Amino acid sequence: MSPITFIILWPLVAALLIGFVPRENRSTIRMIAIAGTFFSLFIALGLFFQFDTGEAGYQFVQREPWVGALDISYYVGVDGINLGLIVMAALVGFAACCLAYDVTERQKEYYILLLIMIGGIIGAFASLDLFFFYFFHELALVPTFIMIGVWGRGEKKNYATFQITIYLSLGALIALIGLVALYVQSGAETFDLVKIIESTASDPFSTSFQKVVFPLLLFGFGILVSLWPFHTWAPLGYGAAPTATAMVHAGVLKKFGLYGLIRIALPLFPEGARHWLGVIAILCLGNILYCGWVAMRQKDLNLLIGNSSVAHMGFVFLGIASLSLVGITGAVFVMVAHGLLAALSFGLSGYLYTQTKDLTMTDFGGLLRQMPFIGTVMVMAFLAGCGVPGFANFPGEIMVLFGAWQTVPVAVIIAAWGALLVGAIYMLRAIRTMLHGPRSEKWTTLVDATSAWRKLPFALLLAGLLFLGCYPPLLTEKIEPSAALVVDRLNGDEKKASADLKEPTLTKDLSTKELSSALSSALAWQERRD
Amino acid sequence: MTGILPWVILFVPLLAALSITLLTLRHRALSAGLSIGAICVSFVGSLLIWISFDGGSVQYSTPWLSVGGLHVDLGLLLDSLSVTMLLVVTGVGALIHIYSYGYMAEDPGMPRYFAGLSFFTFSMLGVVLSNNFVQLFIFWELVGVSSYLLIGFWYDRPTAADAGKKAFLTNRLGDFGFLLGIILVWTTIGSLNFGEIEATMRANPEIFGSLASIAGLLVFCGALGKSAQFPLHVWLPDAMEGPTPVSALIHAATMVAAGIYMLSRVFFLFNETALLVIAWIGGVTALLAAVIAIQQDDIKRILAYSTLSQLGYMVMAVGVMDPTAGMYHLTTHASFKALLFLGAGAVIHAMHHEQNIWKMGGLRRAMPVTYWMFLIATLAICGVPPFSGFFSKESILAAALEHNAILFGVGAGVAALTAFYMFRLVYAVFIGPPKSNAAEYAHEVPGVMKWPQVLLGVPSLLAGFWGIEHFIGQSFASASAHHAAAWHWQILSPFSHAPLAAFFGLGLIGFGIAAAYAFYGNAVRDPLPDEMGRLSTAIRERLYLDEAYTAMIRYSHEVLALIADWIDRWVISGMLVRGSQWGTDLAGRLLRMAQTGNVQTYALFLVVAVVVVLWFVLKR
Repeated sequence: MSPITFIILWPLVAALLIGFVPRENRSTIRMIAIAGTFFSLFIALGLFFQFDTGEAGYQFVQREPWVGALDISYYVGVDGINLGLIVMAALVGFAACCLAYDVTERQKEYYILLLIMIGGIIGAFASLDLFFFYFFHELALVPTFIMIGVWGRGEKKNYATFQITIYLSLGALIALIGLVALYVQSGAETFDLVKIIESTASDPFSTSFQKVVFPLLLFGFGILVSLWPFHTWAPLGYGAAPTATAMVHAGVLKKFGLYGLIRIALPLFPEGARHWLGVIAILCLGNILYCGWVAMRQKDLNLLIGNSSVAHMGFVFLGIASLSLVGITGAVFVMVAHGLLAALSFGLSGYLYTQTKDLTMTDFGGLLRQMPFIGTVMVMAFLAGCGVPGFANFPGEIMVLFGAWQTVPVAVIIAAWGALLVGAIYMLRAIRTMLHGPRSEKWTTLVDATSAWRKLPFALLLAGLLFLGCYPPLLTEKIEPSAALVVDRLNGDEKKASADLKEPTLTKDLSTKELSSALSSALAWQERRD
Repeated sequence: MTGILPWVILFVPLLAALSITLLTLRHRALSAGLSIGAICVSFVGSLLIWISFDGGSVQYSTPWLSVGGLHVDLGLLLDSLSVTMLLVVTGVGALIHIYSYGYMAEDPGMPRYFAGLSFFTFSMLGVVLSNNFVQLFIFWELVGVSSYLLIGFWYDRPTAADAGKKAFLTNRLGDFGFLLGIILVWTTIGSLNFGEIEATMRANPEIFGSLASIAGLLVFCGALGKSAQFPLHVWLPDAMEGPTPVSALIHAATMVAAGIYMLSRVFFLFNETALLVIAWIGGVTALLAAVIAIQQDDIKRILAYSTLSQLGYMVMAVGVMDPTAGMYHLTTHASFKALLFLGAGAVIHAMHHEQNIWKMGGLRRAMPVTYWMFLIATLAICGVPPFSGFFSKESILAAALEHNAILFGVGAGVAALTAFYMFRLVYAVFIGPPKSNAAEYAHEVPGVMKWPQVLLGVPSLLAGFWGIEHFIGQSFASASAHHAAAWHWQILSPFSHAPLAAFFGLGLIGFGIAAAYAFYGNAVRDPLPDEMGRLSTAIRERLYLDEAYTAMIRYSHEVLALIADWIDRWVISGMLVRGSQWGTDLAGRLLRMAQTGNVQTYALFLVVAVVVVLWFVLKR
């Protein structure tokens, strides 16, 4: 068994266990959820440090055939591209469970759905089989709608649920059409992503087919990531979602679309990607600049964070549009960094919301005096959001801007303006309004997080941002070889790509491997004796 | 030993900042001790490096981020330029740290203050020691962040919080150009290391082709923001909202110096066109700020505009191809400007936080040490021989005369203005009659605030004789070589080297001081507003530049934001999303009308359909 399976299973098992706990035992339910995600995080961290850095292919692979006739199998593995995402997902999942105490009704159902969502999205990132890739994503997506609909907040709750459901289902559907087309056209008769990529290396899709199917994936996945102009569901949905749901969705689930583009669309449709390059570059500016302006006008904290999170997605799109090694490595880095940041920001706003039930920014003031810990973390989160060095977003954005210069220089100029200036304007305004200035007259009795237990989730997410920000090679060295494969395919360097892609190294579960080899040698010895 | 020393110098202040933030936030004296101790360690380390320095250039580096063709090192570069800056930053910085312990004694946020100060020192040392562009940019941004935290230290006050925000955003505006410049250099040359870039450019001077001026000017944008040059100068006077020692640190030895230092560091990048623009921007800033300084009443604002004006000189020096002179003036300016700010801080402290110079007066008797030190610094900034400012200013004027006569005229005029507004300040605060009760009963400041001033007085007085120029000049092989000479010859060297510049400059300075005496010798209030009328009002209102900025932002980004928000709300979210929802809904309702359950209706539909199909088929 690969450790990845355990990372996926722990939250799901915890969800199952909660099903057997009577709903009155609230603290037991909470403890099970936290323990389940903690084990998942623990194994994920172990995976991260055991990962063989510099290796391009998949590691910790496990493959269990499921439907032989269609060649569908449970097939998981990590390379540099999804490793960081899985660890980030496990971390955000744990923090989200710790911060889910704002839900006070029907906790049992809430925690079950939240855990399914966490397990599902980790599964989607780990799957190397198209069927499970899609299945796990849907497994994670559907609970989101229910959670916003049932436990959501605010007057616009129903409209937000409605919009997010339609939008995301539509996006998933369009992407599905693209995936079906690619399955049929590849002729490999398999859902095995690795095999499909290998078979198209020698026999690529025709250019006209690529030009038609790539936009299906681009817009299908793009809607899931709030690509401009399909972004309006995001701020609204996050504004209405309960804290933990917003954290996991904005931080982790949203990255699925980007991951799909890098994992599937770029290597399979290099011609299509080059053809649609200009469109991506223009749309990503819609995210960065336009949504930045929209964020400048927001009066509600959650809408501000939501819009800024949409704006940050633009950098990932810009990195993808760069079609260069530096740019795509940067894009993956920004995905991880933004996951931590979005989770932290929504965690903080959720912390305030539980006390105030209102997030109008002008009602706050002088929060740094009132809540030193939460206030300080908030200042740091806002500064991270405007790309200050030391936080993980900075190296990611730098790589994207440097990498994209040769492909789309004009887009880089505009994106740099959005990153350095527009982002800073709204983030610093938020600090000025909420954290600085005289104390608010409306909220005088806000309570700071004082116990270590309450501080833990914030501290963990912040530590993640700082670690990656101060020492980016921790992640870039792992991303680079795998991203190089994608880039080689994009540049039509097929030979190099197939030479780099070695046979997936089978699971590194040494004990099993040693055991089986010992067993087989013993058997061979037995046979010879006979 | 020497290999590890630069790392210690760099990281000890960071260590202090971290340990104060994480461990000793409740212990006032311990926090101050950690911070002061850290910068003293850095200062001693810098002295050791200076003693064993042999005039060459050494680099220590370790890879930080390396992806594809992008290689960013964490590297430290030691040459005469960075060693000079190390001494300035840690030396002046250490005195300001010590002074702060007295100035902030009663502030409840002292540990946070010292953590910020140490973090600021770390960022600045990082800028000084960087050997490549991206590392420089990283620390550059960190200087921006730490100045944001320090200027907004009293964040409860709306003005302080606003000033911090303004400083950060204005700097970001400059950094936008700076970053693009760095990207352009990287894509053209393929390296970020200063040494490698210089070598490539020397081997192939035309490598940038038609983009040469643009690359240089984009990089210069960074200095435009950090060194507060026109038109990005607006943040600096507002930054006075921070505690006075912070102003001393930002204005004298660190943040604003970073821009000049960076220009000298990458001097090889600028072609003639770029240098001409740089020189003119420096000249305009020097003149504009000096004019505005004449009619300010807040003691710190006068000093702020004088900083702007002196920075203009330094930028002009780089522009007229004499970065050595610019760096020389930076060094002397660091000591006398820090001294002026510490003196101002002492006055403000003694006056119970009154900053209007027309409520002071007669402090000469009450605060003799502060007065004498302030006078030394004033004479230095005016450029009176034999004070340090004389030598550095004369070398800038001489370089200007060599390249651009108009700029020399501007520079000389600014020297006269400087003498005028600085002596206006001295007369109003120290010599003229007391103009308030607080001024009559003021007392000298305690020793912890007094001795740093005395120590800064020494370089303000004597730095002209230390051969700083020759030390810095080692970094610029191309710049004209000045010969080292005995100290009594050095005092005469400006006269022999460029006699016209020296005598002309001196004459104007004397004129400025005389004019200041005529107007303010015994004045109880400012006579100029009556004499100059509307001009004075315009100068007092800082030539309406801040208003122009506010309007510009309001009419550009605010309007764009308004439009984007409107489109988002009504077009994308409203018309398209809700519209398609209503469209689908409407289609459903219309189709439902057909589903009546009435057989006759269905039969009718059937017949109509058959007729339509038949007509369609038979038409052909």
